Amino acid sequence: MASAELTGAGQPTHKDPPTRSSEILLEQAFTEDSLYGVRAAVAAHVATVAGKRDVDTMVLIAHELASNAVRHGGGTGRLRLWLAEGALHCEVSDTGAGLKDPALAGHTLPAPSLPGGRGLWIARQLSELRIAASTAGTTVTATVLL
Amino acid sequence: MAATTPVDRLTPGDHACLTFTDPEERLDILAAFVAAGNGRGERIICFTDAIGVDGLRAELLNRGLEAGRELTVIDSDRMWGGGSGPDAGTMVELLAHEMAQADRDGRAGLRITADMCWAARPQANAEQLLVFESEVGRLFAAGRLTAICEYDRESFDPVTLAYAARVHPRTVAATVYHEDPVLRICRQHVPPGVRVAGELDYARAGVLSDALAEAVRLDHDVHLNLNNLHFIDAGAAAVILRAAAHLPDTRRMIVICPEPIERTLTAAGAAAVPALRMLVRDGER
Repeated sequence: MASAELTGAGQPTHKDPPTRSSEILLEQAFTEDSLYGVRAAVAAHVATVAGKRDVDTMVLIAHELASNAVRHGGGTGRLRLWLAEGALHCEVSDTGAGLKDPALAGHTLPAPSLPGGRGLWIARQLSELRIAASTAGTTVTATVLL
Repeated sequence: MAATTPVDRLTPGDHACLTFTDPEERLDILAAFVAAGNGRGERIICFTDAIGVDGLRAELLNRGLEAGRELTVIDSDRMWGGGSGPDAGTMVELLAHEMAQADRDGRAGLRITADMCWAARPQANAEQLLVFESEVGRLFAAGRLTAICEYDRESFDPVTLAYAARVHPRTVAATVYHEDPVLRICRQHVPPGVRVAGELDYARAGVLSDALAEAVRLDHDVHLNLNNLHFIDAGAAAVILRAAAHLPDTRRMIVICPEPIERTLTAAGAAAVPALRMLVRDGER
């Protein structure tokens, strides 16, 4: 698994994905052509454990993280969604070149006249975000309290 | 084959068929048609069925069109004068009578919209619909009657729809910028701007950008109707913010949207764009 090889900033915590597959709500690989399917799958699975507002939030975060992997992280990635300790966690990993400045990414909002660059900003507005990056790829985990 | 015409190009004497699946699109085209009739000083009657009389009045009022002496909204049932069932002859007589009334009132002509969904009901006789659409043709010859017959594509079988398209010299359709199974972007007439329905992400944001650029050229304030948009991502939100941020000082972009879309636009930085106004439509539609 890509995430197991990472040596980035993140230390193992309770927010790491559960090892027993029964606790995982959703685990799937994606490419640019399957983002619509990722959104539909995330919506369906979050709806079994949370209300409409949290569904909308998690769909948006999952889409932003997955589309970052597609556009900047080598074109494909893997998404895992799980519920632990009253929070929803969404982890998206890719095997691209690795995000340059994980600690700074998404902390400033670009001027309205500039295109793009808002995905991580939005994810940070709506969740607690952990980013681990190395030359082997990037793993972003978003946590939304229910 | 009937010519497809945007609603703002219809001229007096036109008898057009509108087939639709999106209710917002139907209402937008109706509103544009009614507004054009107001502009020409015509008597206007909207025969409605799927939407109740009060509902259609409210929808028109939302679009700045108030029912009054010149604009009547009535039930489709009234077209056949309360008889046991639709009768084409009665309906054609009624329209001839209304046209004479418009003349006496000094109106420039008569303009009607008719929701034809009654014809798909079991008690109606599809044959009467066909007789009606053929017979009514002679009323248009003088160029003082203009009409749109609305066919909900989900209520009619393809054979009837094909026949309806054939007996109408014109079909009215929205100007569509983009359509695929999950996204539809088209021009909105009243208020003027762009309507987006479905799911929109960065991959299709370029189409929205082009549609907004046209609205910026054509309209003073740009109205962006996102009522039936279920998802928008950061990339597409950035296109909206950018178009609004580039408007000259005196112009506005007015976005009408459900609450989740507003939340995304806000998270993307909408507050930093003074020209952008967001109106959240309450309740689920």
